[in-house]
Amino acid sequence: MGSSLIKLNGISKVYRVGGEDFAALHEINLEIEPKAFMSFVGPSGSGKTTLLNLIGGLDTPSTGDIFFGDVRLGSMTPGARARYRRENIGFVFQSYNLLPVYNVYENILFPFLLNSRKEPEVRDRVMAMVEQVGLMPQVRKKPTELSGGQCQRVAIARALVKEPSLILADEPTANLDKENSYQILELMCELNKNFDAAFIFSTHDEKVTKYVRREVRLEDGYVHSDKQRNGFGDLE
Amino acid sequence: MILGIAWKNFYRQGVRAFLNVFVTALTIIILIFMLSLLNGFQMQAARNMGITDIAGGQYRAPGFDILTPTEWENQTLKVPDELSRLSHEEKAEVLIQQGQLFPNRRLYPVQLRGMEIEQSLLELPLGGLKVYGPEPGEVIPVVVGVRMAEKAHLEKGSIVVLKWRDRNNVVDARNAQVIDVADFINPRVDEGVVWIRLDHLRTMTVRPNEVSWVAVSDFKGAAPAMEFHTVEMLMADLLALLQQDRRNSRILWAILMFLAGTSVFNTQILNIFKRQKEIGTLMALGMDAQKIVRLFTLEGSLAAVGAVALAAVLGVPFFMWFQSVGLDVSHLSASTMPVRERLFLDFQFWEITWSVMMVVVLMILVAWWPVKKISRLDPTLALRGKGIT
Repeated sequence: MGSSLIKLNGISKVYRVGGEDFAALHEINLEIEPKAFMSFVGPSGSGKTTLLNLIGGLDTPSTGDIFFGDVRLGSMTPGARARYRRENIGFVFQSYNLLPVYNVYENILFPFLLNSRKEPEVRDRVMAMVEQVGLMPQVRKKPTELSGGQCQRVAIARALVKEPSLILADEPTANLDKENSYQILELMCELNKNFDAAFIFSTHDEKVTKYVRREVRLEDGYVHSDKQRNGFGDLE
Repeated sequence: MILGIAWKNFYRQGVRAFLNVFVTALTIIILIFMLSLLNGFQMQAARNMGITDIAGGQYRAPGFDILTPTEWENQTLKVPDELSRLSHEEKAEVLIQQGQLFPNRRLYPVQLRGMEIEQSLLELPLGGLKVYGPEPGEVIPVVVGVRMAEKAHLEKGSIVVLKWRDRNNVVDARNAQVIDVADFINPRVDEGVVWIRLDHLRTMTVRPNEVSWVAVSDFKGAAPAMEFHTVEMLMADLLALLQQDRRNSRILWAILMFLAGTSVFNTQILNIFKRQKEIGTLMALGMDAQKIVRLFTLEGSLAAVGAVALAAVLGVPFFMWFQSVGLDVSHLSASTMPVRERLFLDFQFWEITWSVMMVVVLMILVAWWPVKKISRLDPTLALRGKGIT
């Protein structure tokens, strides 16, 4: 499998909608390197989110194989896929998807709790992450008391705190204003440089595409183009 | 970890959670109250029947039935040696015969109950009969209960004609004097009963050494020609009545339980519809579906746990207060119920444990049933809020 973090071999995804088959992805072949900072771009319905879900183990392909390192996701049981997500993947969603009953600190702590880590042994790491995303003053606030940009920072911190190999961000700036979008993208660039995680965005936000180093354009479930770019997120 | 999230989610439900807890707690308190009250009733009734009538069981003449007066004359036996040699603390010989009183020249059918006067097994207010000799005189001394006196318009000192039939089918009559109107705590040995010394009744009916039954402190082994009737057999009608009351109380409990269960069920259904995205997020974060089912079940079950705690907080002071005042059942003394005092609760540990466990298990079941479908939920649909429609 070489040095790829993720390898997609002939991935297709067909949904059954209203008694008819609908192909969301056709024969996708991609390799994603560690520490990548890339995006899947394309219009709505082009298959971006489906591709992210497949890579994240939330969904399974109709045909083809997805490899995480040397491990084939298709051979995993649902429980093993949950463990794969728990240990290797961080998700950032368009609508943040924070746990409403938890405050900022607890939301960021949550992935550790899922991995059966005790709170005292990871407290410093969580607080460092809070510091890194600039939410120290809001650390005890609940999601309902935060702005959209602050919520997305919490979501990013939650995704990164367990130091996963891969962050999957589905339209992370879609609900944010321009200024907050740039702040979030700057933050993710910075974190990509400081952590060993690869970032994959699904987006049709032009602002995002300015930052990424690789852009895979999808149209109607096909890879239309796969370009390296000189984004603001270039590694130094 | 799951408990912490479950508690926070449960707490977030606010008034709805409190109502679920409150109704369930009320169900538990009512269930314990009703069952314990019936226990208290049964205990008092059994004690009153025991000390006034059935003792620790009775050796009866075969076929004797207290509810069939027309056969009383045929169902008597001589006391076997095995029983007659028992001490007065261990047995009480009883002869039952039919008779008629004529108060105010009206006929009043009565049960003539001849009681061995030396016995101390039963607690009966018959001390007044002890002063008379073993042979009945021209006027037969009798004792009647308060209820009997009231119904037959008798009072202490009243002299009425008493008529009976002896072993030879000869009808005889003599004056009887009410030497005492006594307070029997068991209406079953009061209404329609005329108490006579056993030796007097034997002489009157020409049935020397005969009895209808011998009440004993406990089973004394086989006695020739007699059948031993246990306390349970002798209280069968009362126990059946209480059993019916228990059934009725369980119906009421089931209705309350249904209300509480429906409320929790409804809350759970609402939860999984409203919180699909949260479920999807938990899946994306790596929580497996079974664990999410456990989380939501735990959330719902907290209503039951909270209810047990609230039932303790509300129930203990209530039960303590109740035990200090009791329940006035004086109206029952007009019936044939062998209770007359205030009723108190009799708590049975295992009954309460079983009842509380039943409530908790049922609540867990209704908390789990609606959320089990989460285990089949597609995470991508859940994240979009379209997993459960």
